Amino acid sequence: MHRLLTLIALLFVTSVHAQAPSLANEILGSLAKHPQVRAEFSQSRENPALAEPQVSKGDLLFVIGHGMVWHTRDPFEDTLVLTSGDTRRLDAQGKLERVRDGNRGVSQVSGMLQSLLAGKSEEAARQFTITADGSIDRWTLTFVPRQARVARVLAGITLKGDAFLESIEVNLASGERTLITFTNTRDADSLTPVEAKVLGVP
Amino acid sequence: MRPSPTTLRAGLFTLVALGICLFCAWLLFGRGTSPLQTDIMTILPATERHPLAEDAVERLARASGDRMILLVSNDDDDAAKTAARELGEALGKDPVFASVIAELPPFDLDQLVTPFLPFRFHLLTPEDRAALTSPGFDAVAALRRRLNEPFGANVGAKLTDDPFGWMQHWLDRQPWNRSTLVPEDDMLTAHQGDTTYVLVIATLKGSSYDDVVQRKALATLATAESAMLAKHPGTTLQRTGAIFYAAAARAGAERDTHVVGIASSVGIAVLLLLVFRSLRPLLIAFLSTALGVVGAIVATVLVFGQLHLLTLVFGAALLGEAVDYSIQYLCARANTGAAWNAERGVRQVRPALLLALATSLLGYALLGIVPFPALQQMAVFAMAGMAVACASVFWLLPALAQKPARAPLSPALVRLALGWQRAASGRRALVVLAVLAVAAIPGWLRLGHDDDIHLLISPPKTLEAQTASIRDVAGFGGGTQFWLVEGASAEEVLQREEALTDRLRTWIADGKLTGFTGITAMLPSAKRQAENIAALAPLFTPADRMNAWLAAAGFRPQGMASFVTAYPGRAFTLDDWLAMPAYTPFRYLWLSGSHGTGSIVVPQGQDDVMLLRQASEGLPGVSLVDKPASISALFGRYRGYADVWLGGALALVGLAFLWRYGPRAVGRVLLPPLAGIVFSVAALGYLGQPLTLFHIMALMLVLGVGANYAVFLREGEPHAAHIPGAAYAGVLLSAVTALLSFGLLALSTMPALQHFGLTLLLGIGFTALIAPVSVPAPKKSSA
Repeated sequence: MHRLLTLIALLFVTSVHAQAPSLANEILGSLAKHPQVRAEFSQSRENPALAEPQVSKGDLLFVIGHGMVWHTRDPFEDTLVLTSGDTRRLDAQGKLERVRDGNRGVSQVSGMLQSLLAGKSEEAARQFTITADGSIDRWTLTFVPRQARVARVLAGITLKGDAFLESIEVNLASGERTLITFTNTRDADSLTPVEAKVLGVP
Repeated sequence: MRPSPTTLRAGLFTLVALGICLFCAWLLFGRGTSPLQTDIMTILPATERHPLAEDAVERLARASGDRMILLVSNDDDDAAKTAARELGEALGKDPVFASVIAELPPFDLDQLVTPFLPFRFHLLTPEDRAALTSPGFDAVAALRRRLNEPFGANVGAKLTDDPFGWMQHWLDRQPWNRSTLVPEDDMLTAHQGDTTYVLVIATLKGSSYDDVVQRKALATLATAESAMLAKHPGTTLQRTGAIFYAAAARAGAERDTHVVGIASSVGIAVLLLLVFRSLRPLLIAFLSTALGVVGAIVATVLVFGQLHLLTLVFGAALLGEAVDYSIQYLCARANTGAAWNAERGVRQVRPALLLALATSLLGYALLGIVPFPALQQMAVFAMAGMAVACASVFWLLPALAQKPARAPLSPALVRLALGWQRAASGRRALVVLAVLAVAAIPGWLRLGHDDDIHLLISPPKTLEAQTASIRDVAGFGGGTQFWLVEGASAEEVLQREEALTDRLRTWIADGKLTGFTGITAMLPSAKRQAENIAALAPLFTPADRMNAWLAAAGFRPQGMASFVTAYPGRAFTLDDWLAMPAYTPFRYLWLSGSHGTGSIVVPQGQDDVMLLRQASEGLPGVSLVDKPASISALFGRYRGYADVWLGGALALVGLAFLWRYGPRAVGRVLLPPLAGIVFSVAALGYLGQPLTLFHIMALMLVLGVGANYAVFLREGEPHAAHIPGAAYAGVLLSAVTALLSFGLLALSTMPALQHFGLTLLLGIGFTALIAPVSVPAPKKSSA
């Protein structure tokens, strides 16, 4: 862990706002203290083409190093299992089916989030300039694409939180904005057998 | 004073020879391009029944073509990128490179989206098509689901252009979205563990096989590499590309030519000096051989339009056989002493030389029958070389060797020869041979087979390792196994390929394959595009219903009008595919030309030929092509035939001997080469060498050369009766020169030539030692 932190610190010297390396470190370190997290989520997607924001609600389970179970309850019932680079759908019978035409963006963002929380921020740091603001109890992490051609499409990603992650905001250059807020976030003490199976937790 | 006919003939011969030499010089150096060929592909046998398949093999082998693919890696991310950037700049300064890509040219991601808009309704992934045609498809539910995907935002097609995500799904399947390389800091990078890999591609201005281009490019790379390594310690550079393979092959062949050529020339020179104890015979022998080589080069270039380096290596070894003719003539001169008459000398050796030439030509002609360009070139080279060297003995040498020899043959050699000849002839020798033949049986029984392609192509292991590593990191793989799809028209080819790829998709699902690259993943057949439209048609008719669905899902009606009116767009055609710059790197997948129309599908993550062949079983127009396996099979088949040829050649030589020596003596004359072959094969068995096509080819030469020795001895004996052992001394001299040249091939870096050399070493050695049995034992009294 020490070696990892040193590595992150080293990387942050070049890529993170000069005064903030310790804060970003602290934030990521404190998030990593909760390896299994449950939360209620509410996702709101705004797009100029949409008459009003699309809102979906549900609950999620996040297990560092394994992935997450994204259970949408409203406006439809759907359970997705997001693991590194793979999206699978869990049906009512508890059977998993690979979503071949899953959104690449979905698995990429969730993958980045997972590695970030697992203490592996190098990947994110290579693609984004990361800025940390606030204090360890009330913080904001901002990710701005380093690639000009990506920046032309993706304006930025903002994470906010305290001891847990509170919200994720994804802004596209086209004016599309997706805001995910998490409530009732808590450590998941135990997993159901199905959850453990689909995430491959022993 | 009128010139003698000998001088006249020699003068004429010299004139012609000079002309041929000049012509040869012009062929080699006088034209813009060197006829020296280093590309191994050009001399591999055509193995495929269809020329289109051969085209495909060629295409695939050249897919990486005239490019250097370089991968710079370092555990430090910044160092890797800086090093790669500097390497790219250093290479870019040299005009030998047409272009160097380290930093990506600025381009808009839109360029990978917008050009597809007109075709979007015709291009659907199989999964979307299946979902659309399934009975329970609910458009509003599908839209809702897409709009509420976790983390929402998608980069690519705009929501208004692609509300259902069909186009985005299609684009995600396109090759540039499947690469493990991602753009970072304007460079194509990959990460594995702690290591950052950066791709640099340098395109050559010219061919990878062009000598000048090769040298310049490699020198520039070497300089740039050492500068990079010095400045960024810990950096490694891995490389692949045809140019590196060509350079390695060239270096190996050049080394071989030098080793074999120089060592055998020096060895033969020393030997001749020791035996003839005079400089003149040495010069005469070398002149005759040199003329033979020049004639061989001219003939080969005229017949094939090129001279492969491999042929030249073989040619270097040929020196040892071509020198035999002049040796026989010079031996006759040395043995005759003061009574020497140059013309009479020619008449004396002519029957032996002609018979020897005939058997050699026979041996090489059989080699040339094999439909294998490499062997054909060697055969033509050898036949021309032998014939010219022999002709020079008849027409040129008499003029140069008018005066009698200053010294007889080295008495030491003659004594040695006589000693062995006494020991190795007569009844006792036959008994020993019989015993040896019995001893050879276990050796024969131990023989195995090897028909691997690596006999011919053995690139350095480090280069192979780098290529494999680059394939792992970057996902580039030339590959030599692929499916060839043929059809009468482009449409038929595409439909047939889809029949294959539909099956491959189920294989991927079963884990039998990780993926494949084929054109239909980019360009579906017109039939499949029509099916796509058929799947969409119910949704868009009437258009108002689609508008209602979009509104129900939450879209603003005015924003979506263009999406509905854009339907159905137009079909994506072959011309569209060819015109799209993003697809340029994949043009090699499409074959079109005089040999017909076809496509290539390259498998990934599976190299079991049986399994791959199964995948295309029963599909019309689809066949698996596996060039290495085909060549190995061909080697094996020829190896099988070669036994028959060897038997046939033996019979032909036997007939020639029967005509010349009569039924009583034919057995004796044939015994040395026959026993030589039997014993060398047994020796190979004892050495644990599996028998390859090249061993058997060499045995044919053993037969040709071995027969010569029997002939030389048999024909020479009567003329050298006054010096017992002299005739055999001449044979031994021939054998040692042959061993010095062919035998040195055993040092070659190429397994095929190595096997060739080793077999000849054994075969010629045995034959020369057994040769005395072909004549009656020399009488004690005449000593």
